Amino acid sequence: MGILFTRMFSSLFGNKEARILVLGLDNAGKTTILYRLQMGEVVSTIPTIGFNVETVQYNNIKFQVWDLGGQTSIRPYWRCYFPNTQAIIYVIDSSDTDRLAIAKDEFHAILEEEELRGAVVLIFANKQDLPGALDDAAVTEALELHKIKNRQWAIFKTSATKGEGLFEGLDW
Amino acid sequence: MKSLHKYNNVTISKRRLKEDTSERRGAKMSGHDSKYFSTTKKGEIPELKEELNSQYKDKRKDAVKKVIAAMTVGKDVSSLFTDVVNCMQTENLELKKLVYLYLINYAKSQPDLAILAVNTFVKDSQDPNPLIRALAVRTMGCIRVDKITEYLCDPLQRCLKDDDPYVRKTAAICVAKLYDINAELVEDRGFLESLKDLISDNNPMVVANAVAALAEIQENSSGPIFEISSHTLSKLLTALNECTEWGQVFILDALSRYKAADAREAENIVERVTPRLQHANCAVVLSAVKMILQQMELITSTDVVRNLCKKMAPPLVTLLSAEPEIQYVALRNINLIVQRRPTILAHEIKVFFCKYNDPIYVKMEKLEIMIKLASDRNIDQVLLEFKEYATEVDVDFVRKAVRAIGRCAIKLERAAERCISVLLELIKIKVNYVVQEAIIVIKDIFRRYPNTYESIIATLCESLDTLDEPEAKASMIWIIGEYAERIDNADELLESFLESFPEEPAQVQLQLLTATVKLFLKKPTEGPQQMIQVSF
Repeated sequence: MGILFTRMFSSLFGNKEARILVLGLDNAGKTTILYRLQMGEVVSTIPTIGFNVETVQYNNIKFQVWDLGGQTSIRPYWRCYFPNTQAIIYVIDSSDTDRLAIAKDEFHAILEEEELRGAVVLIFANKQDLPGALDDAAVTEALELHKIKNRQWAIFKTSATKGEGLFEGLDW
Repeated sequence: MKSLHKYNNVTISKRRLKEDTSERRGAKMSGHDSKYFSTTKKGEIPELKEELNSQYKDKRKDAVKKVIAAMTVGKDVSSLFTDVVNCMQTENLELKKLVYLYLINYAKSQPDLAILAVNTFVKDSQDPNPLIRALAVRTMGCIRVDKITEYLCDPLQRCLKDDDPYVRKTAAICVAKLYDINAELVEDRGFLESLKDLISDNNPMVVANAVAALAEIQENSSGPIFEISSHTLSKLLTALNECTEWGQVFILDALSRYKAADAREAENIVERVTPRLQHANCAVVLSAVKMILQQMELITSTDVVRNLCKKMAPPLVTLLSAEPEIQYVALRNINLIVQRRPTILAHEIKVFFCKYNDPIYVKMEKLEIMIKLASDRNIDQVLLEFKEYATEVDVDFVRKAVRAIGRCAIKLERAAERCISVLLELIKIKVNYVVQEAIIVIKDIFRRYPNTYESIIATLCESLDTLDEPEAKASMIWIIGEYAERIDNADELLESFLESFPEEPAQVQLQLLTATVKLFLKKPTEGPQQMIQVSF
């Protein structure tokens, strides 16, 4: 099964370094996910003012993963990173139900972007380890994912601190 | 870009259609001409942009180098800001430095986007490599964008307590830079306290930079920020012997502001600093001299003072064998030093004699110092020199030399006569500007020593006609008026000046008026009275 998906990725990216953007509201866990993917451990993070970029190797594919700061002040600059992006990982703090609406708006704004037309979208419903976290179905509902047309997308339940669900997402 | 081209094509072809009566012909033409708009060339910036986003590291590095090259020759590459910043997170130190350089240059023009760099700074300031940590904190200080300064405080705080002295010393300077951008922030975050702690650092370079930063901050602030206590004093004195020459300059300058508690402490400090007088770096020597002079104010023992003066002379003299620019700086300082303590260089006047190939600015300063050092003992020598200078070719220098003779005459009563005879000799050369300058100084000499040297007035009157400068004219007129009773033809002389009264500058007119009134008071006859009326 894994081989099949690897082949699928290969067909997507050839042998280039694929460029993946990790987006989401602040405090969603983007940076933690990035370093979990890269080093396999949980690092203590501070709010990202700007960006992090790391090369992650998984199943012989090199990903250049860009983790962009999620604060309101930085969100306008996300678009600077859109060109040449093959995939987006949109991270959601599933326990932060109050701001799900904002997350939804931002998410759909991204999908509207011309430059991201060809990018596949992967949604991480993060922080599943926290009590009160919504499951993937609820998040799908909240984000109105069913409205997405003409695009490959998938949603996974993850917990960056525990490392659950991340690689399943990449496998996809 | 591409869509813009398309748009242009469409509008232009539309216009063509309207203009051309034959619709078909017009459409055909625009079809042919459209190729001029869809050029494949993209220009430099888009090309660089593409290379910066390349997936190959080498290509990206080359692109950044190209950007920096364009930047240094003055091309505006600020539109590539995000693309360059995206290359910032790299293990390649060279590339990182280049990107930092770019940031320093363009962060100001892209203040909003500069925020994208913050995270990398924060990361780099925790890098295992101390060079990168220092680089990050140094660059942060150079980015003067309000929006991001507050994010830089935490990294700076960390770097001030870094294990590596190189990082600490860089961070110390960064605090001074930050203070310049946002003084309040520095005070609120307690950076000043951290800086003061660094004075007790075990690394002398850190101490020196902390002192430099504090001194800089003190300069720009009204309140007392940097005061040396007896505890920090000993730290500074210890660091002084170990740090680099420029560090020594900072510490010495700071020490010169320290007020010693009593003579004993002052002596101690001076004793520790005296070896610096032998340093090869001129700045260190001058700072040491400055510091010693400050502390000498407190020292009561005349023996110690005399000893110190003796020690300070040779280094100061040595400075005069350096390049002219340094000589000039040294001379300016010596000028102040001889005002405060003429004894230091009293015996060294010969080194201030002008060499024929000294630049003019050095000569002028040397003259000043010679005047200050002239004394009854060396005046003959000095006068010989001045006379020599008064026959040189540079007009300004000659004038200054003549004035110098006059000032010596005023300063040294016993030498006044010798000075005057030199001046008379110079007048006899009949060089116009020398004569005029001499008359100006002779007027001052007359005022200083009234009724002593009037015998020379006759000689002065000989050159009356050659005077054309207002100051010289005014001086001559003053002399005539002052000594009207001794000059037989005073009225004639003044009358000759009166002819051109309306054209004269105010200075000369005023002197003429006073002189004629003086003449009238001394010789209350017809002539002068008429003259006064003429003047009115």
